Amino acid sequence: MTVPLIQIIILAGIIFSLGLICTLVWRSNVIMLLVGIEIMLNGAMLVFVGGSYRWGAPDGQIFALMIIAMTSAEVSLALAMVVYLQRRHKTVNVDDFHELKDQ
Amino acid sequence: MTMNILFYILAAVMIVATLLAITEKHPVHAIVYLVTSFFAMAGIFYLLCAPLVAMFEVIIYAGAVMVLFMFVIMMLDLGHPEEAQRPAFITWLVPLILTSLVLSSVVSAAVFRTFPGGSNVEITARAFATVLFGRYGVAIEIISMQLLFAVVGALYLGRKGGGK
Amino acid sequence: MKLYLELIILLPLFGALINALCGRHLPRRLSEWLACAAIGGSFAAALAAFSSYSSPVRIEIASWLADFDFSAPLALYLDPLSLSLTLMITFVCGLIHLYSVAYMAEDPCYVRYFALLNLFVAAMLLLVLAENLPLLYMGWEGVGFCSYALIGFWYKEVKNADAGRKAFIVTRVGDVAFGIAIVWLFMLCSTESIVDLNSMGGSIPPWKLTAIGLLLLFGAAGKSAQAPLMVWLPDAMAGPTPVSAQIHAATMVTAGVYLLMRLFPLICLSPTVLAAIAITGTLTALYGASCALVQRDLKRVLAYSTISQIGFMMLGVGAGGITAATFHLLIHAFFKALLFLAAGCVITAMHHEQDIYRMGGLRKTAPLTFYGFLAGALCLAGFPLTGGFFSKDGILTAVWEQGGTLYSALYTIGLLTAYITALYTFRTLLLVFGGDCRSEHKTAPVPPLMNFILLPLALVALAGGLLNLPTVFGSGLLSGFLAPLIVGPVIDPSHSTELALLLASSAAAFTGIGLAWLRYGGGRRQLRLNEAEQPLGGLSAFLFHGWYLDDLYALLFIHPFIRLSQFFWKRVDEQVIDGSMDRFAGLLGRWGMLLGSLTCGRVSLYLLSFAAGAALLVGWLAWLMFSAGGG
Repeated sequence: MTVPLIQIIILAGIIFSLGLICTLVWRSNVIMLLVGIEIMLNGAMLVFVGGSYRWGAPDGQIFALMIIAMTSAEVSLALAMVVYLQRRHKTVNVDDFHELKDQ
Repeated sequence: MTMNILFYILAAVMIVATLLAITEKHPVHAIVYLVTSFFAMAGIFYLLCAPLVAMFEVIIYAGAVMVLFMFVIMMLDLGHPEEAQRPAFITWLVPLILTSLVLSSVVSAAVFRTFPGGSNVEITARAFATVLFGRYGVAIEIISMQLLFAVVGALYLGRKGGGK
Repeated sequence: MKLYLELIILLPLFGALINALCGRHLPRRLSEWLACAAIGGSFAAALAAFSSYSSPVRIEIASWLADFDFSAPLALYLDPLSLSLTLMITFVCGLIHLYSVAYMAEDPCYVRYFALLNLFVAAMLLLVLAENLPLLYMGWEGVGFCSYALIGFWYKEVKNADAGRKAFIVTRVGDVAFGIAIVWLFMLCSTESIVDLNSMGGSIPPWKLTAIGLLLLFGAAGKSAQAPLMVWLPDAMAGPTPVSAQIHAATMVTAGVYLLMRLFPLICLSPTVLAAIAITGTLTALYGASCALVQRDLKRVLAYSTISQIGFMMLGVGAGGITAATFHLLIHAFFKALLFLAAGCVITAMHHEQDIYRMGGLRKTAPLTFYGFLAGALCLAGFPLTGGFFSKDGILTAVWEQGGTLYSALYTIGLLTAYITALYTFRTLLLVFGGDCRSEHKTAPVPPLMNFILLPLALVALAGGLLNLPTVFGSGLLSGFLAPLIVGPVIDPSHSTELALLLASSAAAFTGIGLAWLRYGGGRRQLRLNEAEQPLGGLSAFLFHGWYLDDLYALLFIHPFIRLSQFFWKRVDEQVIDGSMDRFAGLLGRWGMLLGSLTCGRVSLYLLSFAAGAALLVGWLAWLMFSAGGG
């Protein structure tokens, strides 16, 4: 007895949606926003691994690995940026960062 | 059958942990819930015949990334629950609508889609490595470059008095 | 023969090119010499062509315009008409070039002057020798351009530049009619060759032929300063005097007459057109002569007399007297060039004073000029046995021989005009040369070269009658030469009629001269000078202002046109077009501002819209799958 792909995809969809909600809601805290992104990426990974499981091909798992590598790079950079911004603005509220906008 | 039951249990744990994580106003607690969620995810990966990915999930995600988050929270001194506040209800409304839209679309698409058949073959670490370093050699190179850049960028941003 | 014809046109063209391109770097003498030599060479080539001429020749030099069944090659056509005109043009223009050397001796812009003068001659010769209408039109526009550039030669004065523009625009009105006629003729006959067209007149429906004839007449009226487009010529006197002599007296203004003569076999098939030509000519002749009666400016008198004399030529064409019209054209070119050049001498002598009421006594101080002017005046007045007398009489004879009420009336008016012509000619002569000098300054010396030029012209003008004596005195040389051109019945009046008409013409001339003597001769001259101090009134003012035609045209055409233009400028252009553009730009700008306000710099909003887009995309994909799976 195996796990049907449909259930995996639905689970991944739920996880992804929770991540999306987290990203959209936590505008007052960049850390939580990044957490939301991590959750969404996890949802995506789950779909890849599920696909790999369903068809017995290693490609999906490789992509999951790639996502992990990319995420680690992204998180390290993003957190470095958060530290930097916190130093300059003394806040983690994303709406306070708008230097690039033409005033 | 055992496998299915395990899957449902892990899925339930994961959803609940994630829900708690995103609604928790204290960042440190949120991270801890998230780690729980990732452990459940690693279990699911193992169930889905991907022990390597499960291992990486535990080591990198639940381990390194979340510790990184922890460090940053401590560094920025955000760990004061009395200062943190949960977003107002009105800010939840629009994301909820949009997300339910996305979710219903994904679910309906998954339900109405019939998938072609295949075989559930366990993928050994050897087969995984052969494909990874054979067919996806260029991707490995690119990912390693990306990691290098990330290191350089993080060093630049994090140096003392950076950006001045 | 081909070589001669090419040389005739190319020599002046090269002269113009050399002077225009590098005349600045040549010594002044060389530049002047080049211009004169070009025309001289052209005259020599014309003489050579004349001596070897036996029958009409058509020479194709190169292909020019050729498309589908339309072709207008660079082809020249030499027949008695074009040959005689070529000889006249090169001869008169050559003398005028020589004269210009002395007249323009002080002018620093001599290079431009001589280049344009040479170019003018080339264009005029092209016009005369052209075998097809497009080529003729090229020459036609070429002389129009040179005329414009030379009238406004001293363009630094607004008055001169305005005169140039006026000439250009007024002749353009006629050119449009001519252009329409050219295209229409091609549509009807599918050929542009003049020779072919002339033989195809019978195949054109009469009403179309009449319409084309009237269009041609209108075009000719523009170039030849005939009614109703004669208003530009008096103002065209703003240019240097040799230019007036060359362009506005001797050659260019006769282009219209030449066009009508060239296409005479075509247009003579329509009696309406002939009558229209005759009436136009007569009216213009009367108009010009009457206006010349009261003018004070020496050159304007001559300009109005030119209008009048060309009216005579038109009358001759309208009466079917091609020979007479050609004869008058040639003789008129000689004596009018003579008069203008003499007027140039007078103006030089009077320190550029042009008012004839301030002149006087030049008979004593500038005798050579006086005799030259006298010869021209005698011809213009139609004094018996001069060239002008015979040529004008030839036209009147042709008119008389047409018979009928219309032509009898035209003859009477023509005779009246001849009488007025004699009157104003000698009024001018007596005022300018008679009495004592009124000018405060001493008369300036006239360069001998300028006086010398008058001599050959005077001889040719006075003796020109020998070219074409009335049959009562023997056979006319020119009649015989031009005989191949005549279509229809040959005008062959009986000797008694001819003698009677000669006597009538002489009587008109003598009466006019006598009256002029009675009013302006001797001691009565002073009386008229005193009268001239008073402002003009009544009829005189009417005539002095050229029948107020300028004001009439201003009222009829120019003011409405300006008002229309202002309407288009203020209302249509500024309000409708510019306004709609401005409003459109404003709309786009507001849209841009609206879209720009989306980039508020708020990350959360970006994320939200990003999620909305994702929802839209995923929803759409799901819909696609749903419909594919359901279907």
